[in-house]
Amino acid sequence: MATALSRQRVVERAGTRTSYRFGSPLRKSQRVAGYLFVLPTFALFLAFVLWPILYTAYLSLTSWGGFGSPRFVHFDNYSRMLHDPVARRALIVTLVLTGVTTAVLTFLGLVTAVLVNVIWSKVGVVVRTILFIPGIVSFVVSAVLWKLIYDPNIGTLNRLLGAIGLGSLQHPWLADHKTVLPAIVVVTVWGGLGFNMLIYFAGLHSIDPNLYEAAEMDGANTVQQFRHITVPSLRIVTGLIVSLGLLNGFKAFDVIFVMTGGGPNHGSEVLGTYLYSLAFGSTSGSIPQLGYASAFSVVTMVLCTLAVIAQLWLTRRADR
Amino acid sequence: MRNKWIGKSFATFVLLPFCLLMAFPFVWMLLTSLREQNTIFNGPIIPRKFTGVAYKDAWTSIDFPLHFWNSVWITSVTVIGVLIFATLSGYAFAKLDFPFRNTLFVLLLTTLMMPSTALIIPLYLELKSLGLLDSQAGLLVLYISGSAPFAMFLMRAFFQTLPDELIEAARVDGGSELTIFRRVILPLTRPGIATVVIFQFLSTWNEFLIANTVLRNTDALPLQPVLFTLMGQYSTNWPALTAGLTLSVVPVVIVYVRMQRQFVAGMMLGAVKN
Repeated sequence: MATALSRQRVVERAGTRTSYRFGSPLRKSQRVAGYLFVLPTFALFLAFVLWPILYTAYLSLTSWGGFGSPRFVHFDNYSRMLHDPVARRALIVTLVLTGVTTAVLTFLGLVTAVLVNVIWSKVGVVVRTILFIPGIVSFVVSAVLWKLIYDPNIGTLNRLLGAIGLGSLQHPWLADHKTVLPAIVVVTVWGGLGFNMLIYFAGLHSIDPNLYEAAEMDGANTVQQFRHITVPSLRIVTGLIVSLGLLNGFKAFDVIFVMTGGGPNHGSEVLGTYLYSLAFGSTSGSIPQLGYASAFSVVTMVLCTLAVIAQLWLTRRADR
Repeated sequence: MRNKWIGKSFATFVLLPFCLLMAFPFVWMLLTSLREQNTIFNGPIIPRKFTGVAYKDAWTSIDFPLHFWNSVWITSVTVIGVLIFATLSGYAFAKLDFPFRNTLFVLLLTTLMMPSTALIIPLYLELKSLGLLDSQAGLLVLYISGSAPFAMFLMRAFFQTLPDELIEAARVDGGSELTIFRRVILPLTRPGIATVVIFQFLSTWNEFLIANTVLRNTDALPLQPVLFTLMGQYSTNWPALTAGLTLSVVPVVIVYVRMQRQFVAGMMLGAVKN
């Protein structure tokens, strides 16, 4: 698949890159139209994407409570970050949650896609829909729903455990340092699985069936076929799924904000929730720390950029 | 042949319980919204008596229709705005030849990796200095500018599948670029537009962070932030709370079920092109 893709790309490039000749009236009207068509989107981009990126980078070098003008403090916010135990906790939790969620989502996505691909196609349609529906409702809805399920007193999880005689396992799931992170992973996986399954499912369909036939003739069993044909053929898809998983992990906010607010005692604090509480205040009356919070914005952006670069790099390697 | 049958049975055997687990929260949400408030503490897990009273509670007590229509309005304007920006620029990037085309394209794509979590502080400050804080107009500007590049990316991938000869022929016939775009291209864009519409609908309807931050005036709020406050307000009235959740999910499920095909097609387009 890799070579087919790259060949297609070369053809595509050759097709769209028409030679550019100055002076030709046809080319000139294309040039004018091109800029006019792109201009509105680009203007919005400059004002509400590029400018905010630069502005937050600048703010991260200042100390500012929102009134008066920001005071330039060099890299103080970043060195403060290194000594702030909550910041360290938030960074570690972000990385751990992202890593674990991405790994579980990638693995389960592939497994469910393979299984859905095997079963009778009519059942497959139903299964695909059931797995996908959690992904189309908002994070707020899923977070509220799961918060009720995890509720320590009347939550369904504890009640079910009691009903089947496992009352000793009952737990205040979101109020305990040890269980709050796994509980969040469950919610994120629940919401993200259908998407990954569907992308893998499409990837499976793009594998040349002749490969499997040839392997079968050579006497390869199902597991060998999976390891030596399926997994390598899906490398580009896996790269995409992993990088999307990393991106979603680094920017995590909604589910944690709604379910725990970063608690208990910063136990589930991530970069997103911490910068939000620094800037917009979890406790009313405290002065917003816009400079320090912006430093976390910058860290988040750097992490997201790294995830995308890693994906481009992996795809290019798989392409060769 | 027998081997295949065993494989299929095995896969079904594994997937079915898994599907039950995945579907459980929604089933539970429906059951809870239909039960009586006094049975949530010690009643059976599957209620014996069903009642719709919680839906009436949720509908009237928090001004549900107002926020529902806010969501419909904000989502509609965003979808239309994004469509206009994305078809124009997506077409230019796919089919028109102009200097710095690739540079501009790559620049626009950086939007895709900048999460709103990281940009929320400068965006808030920017709206504040523009005097657009606390207004739906400000929210709409942020939604459209944040989403247009991704939609542009999808539309570009779609336009690339259209043959160049079509445009060349129209040019030879002397059509201006705008006429070609309107008369020749737009009528062929329906599948691409459908994809953008469903993606944009879902992401705007479900957006929480920006709406919750830049709108403080409760009357202007769309549903998601309201559901969040509802959670605090109704911390023990679970039937009303889950009824609110269910009502907020209905449009999403309807749109998804009706446009499932375009959605999957669009995901493939995005995924493969990426």
